[in-house]
Amino acid sequence: MMSGLRMYGLLFRASIRSRMQYRFNFWFSSVMSAVISIVEFLMLAVILLKFGHIKGWSLAEAGWLYSVLSLSRAIYRTVANDVHNIESYLVSGDLDGLLLRPIPVLTALMSRNVSIRFGEVFQGIAVLVVSMSALIREGQIGWLSIPLTVFVIISGALLLFSVGLLTASAGFWLTRITELQNITEDAARTAVQYPVSIYPRWLQGILVGIIPVGFANYMPGLFVLRGDTGWWMLPLTAGIAAALFTLALFVWRFGISRYQSTGS
Amino acid sequence: MKPMITVHQLSKSFRSPLPAPEGPFRGLRTLMSRQYTEKEAVRGVNFSIAPGEFVGYIGPNGAGKSTTIKMLAGILHPTSGEVRIDGLNPHRDRRQVARRLGVLFGQRTQLWWDLPVRDSYDILAAMYGIDAERKDARINELADLLQLGEFMDTPVRKLSLGQRMRADLAAALLHDPDVLFLDEPTIGLDVVAKRSIREYLHSINIELGKTVLLTTHDMDDIEQLCSRVIVINRGTLGFDGTIDELRRRIGLPTLIRVTYRQAPVLPSAEINENATSLRLAEVDGRTLTAECNREAISAMEALRLLEQYGDIEDVHMEEPHFEDVIHTLY
Repeated sequence: MMSGLRMYGLLFRASIRSRMQYRFNFWFSSVMSAVISIVEFLMLAVILLKFGHIKGWSLAEAGWLYSVLSLSRAIYRTVANDVHNIESYLVSGDLDGLLLRPIPVLTALMSRNVSIRFGEVFQGIAVLVVSMSALIREGQIGWLSIPLTVFVIISGALLLFSVGLLTASAGFWLTRITELQNITEDAARTAVQYPVSIYPRWLQGILVGIIPVGFANYMPGLFVLRGDTGWWMLPLTAGIAAALFTLALFVWRFGISRYQSTGS
Repeated sequence: MKPMITVHQLSKSFRSPLPAPEGPFRGLRTLMSRQYTEKEAVRGVNFSIAPGEFVGYIGPNGAGKSTTIKMLAGILHPTSGEVRIDGLNPHRDRRQVARRLGVLFGQRTQLWWDLPVRDSYDILAAMYGIDAERKDARINELADLLQLGEFMDTPVRKLSLGQRMRADLAAALLHDPDVLFLDEPTIGLDVVAKRSIREYLHSINIELGKTVLLTTHDMDDIEQLCSRVIVINRGTLGFDGTIDELRRRIGLPTLIRVTYRQAPVLPSAEINENATSLRLAEVDGRTLTAECNREAISAMEALRLLEQYGDIEDVHMEEPHFEDVIHTLY
């Protein structure tokens, strides 16, 4: 485990060094992603400022949901960028090279083409600080909510990673998975940027029960922000993330045994 | 001696869904389809390779060469049959087998494209758990052997193909593997680079004692390097033996071109009589071309026969081209 982490760290740094060979692209893409995500949030903020709240969620609460998810996603995509890009490995047969090394394929894959999501991290922290300080001033939440929020972010990162890994594993059978990723990763995650209660029942069911991204922010938010549920919500959140992660690892391993490579 | 590589009844078939008939949502219907085509890439392959052997594994495109190599390396799981590398199963113990294997794919580099060559070696050394002292000694040794010194600090993307191939070869050897799989190591190289890569490969086999399995389309590679050839075609083994055996088995004729002082006088009966061992192919003025089966008749005997037709001025002999030998086999 320790040596695995050290290996990952080494490959991670090598990947960053590769990136830095193209310095302009590195910084430009970081800045652009920050601008894009801030604009995204501003659109939500404009709606909330106009109406005051959506389905009973205030601007500060919506900001918390939004930024917690942003940060979880930033962690997932920083730590395991190419899990999302597995399709190109499957189509080109580049996974071959990873399978030849005496380290786990997942470690090798995760540490490829690392991109540190400075933009999203910066935006996420900014929105989170603003939202939480407003909530704390109003006395809706206490200082305890800060460590709880950190817990939710990490658990959410694991959850998003697991959803990503499960989708990636499907690639061993389907090869082309961009469309599937659009649904499981992009659409689902975009949906839970907003309070899940605004959606019709069936969609809420999907976001909590089938692609459980609702557990990345909305469900634990019910407890952390409003105390709507008991404390059991937090272990449940982490438990779902851990269970999904275990399942994803299992499917991933099975998928590798089905890997077909490419002709050459 | 215990074999280094054993392959027993190895088979691999690929299953792919049949595309659905034209119409709306074709992609989706293909996905849901229960109809598959089964393509057998490798069928019942058997061989075993002793430590220190240099074996050429050849066949036309799509014959199953790469599929076999990928199963040996643990990249693909066989549909049935067994592979053992030094007694280990590359699918169950992929990571242990990876330590004993060096693999070179001529078509794609395994180095870090944007980093200096040296950095790739540092990363690989860490992956294989090679300590700093051993790593430095090993890199120096390989840099000497493969002459990497001049581009050790150059990013891989700026190397010429010949340099890249050497750098990749060193990467495959860094962890001192017992077995080396080389997939088209001379592809795209010019004559000089090809020759130097062959020299390196030769010394890797002789001096370092590595077991080498080489796939290539370049028959000069095979002829100059391999002590043994395995031919695969349409998924099954066609031949397994030495190059000389291969030549003999095909029995391509040696060409003898004889120039006489005067136009030769040919007894027509003679031609049929010796048709199996010596066949007159062409007479053009004073020059006569004969095809001679060296298994049935020695060159001296053939010349003695040809001498009967006139005074010989000059003789030119052509051994069958190895490339042609292989072509008749495919």
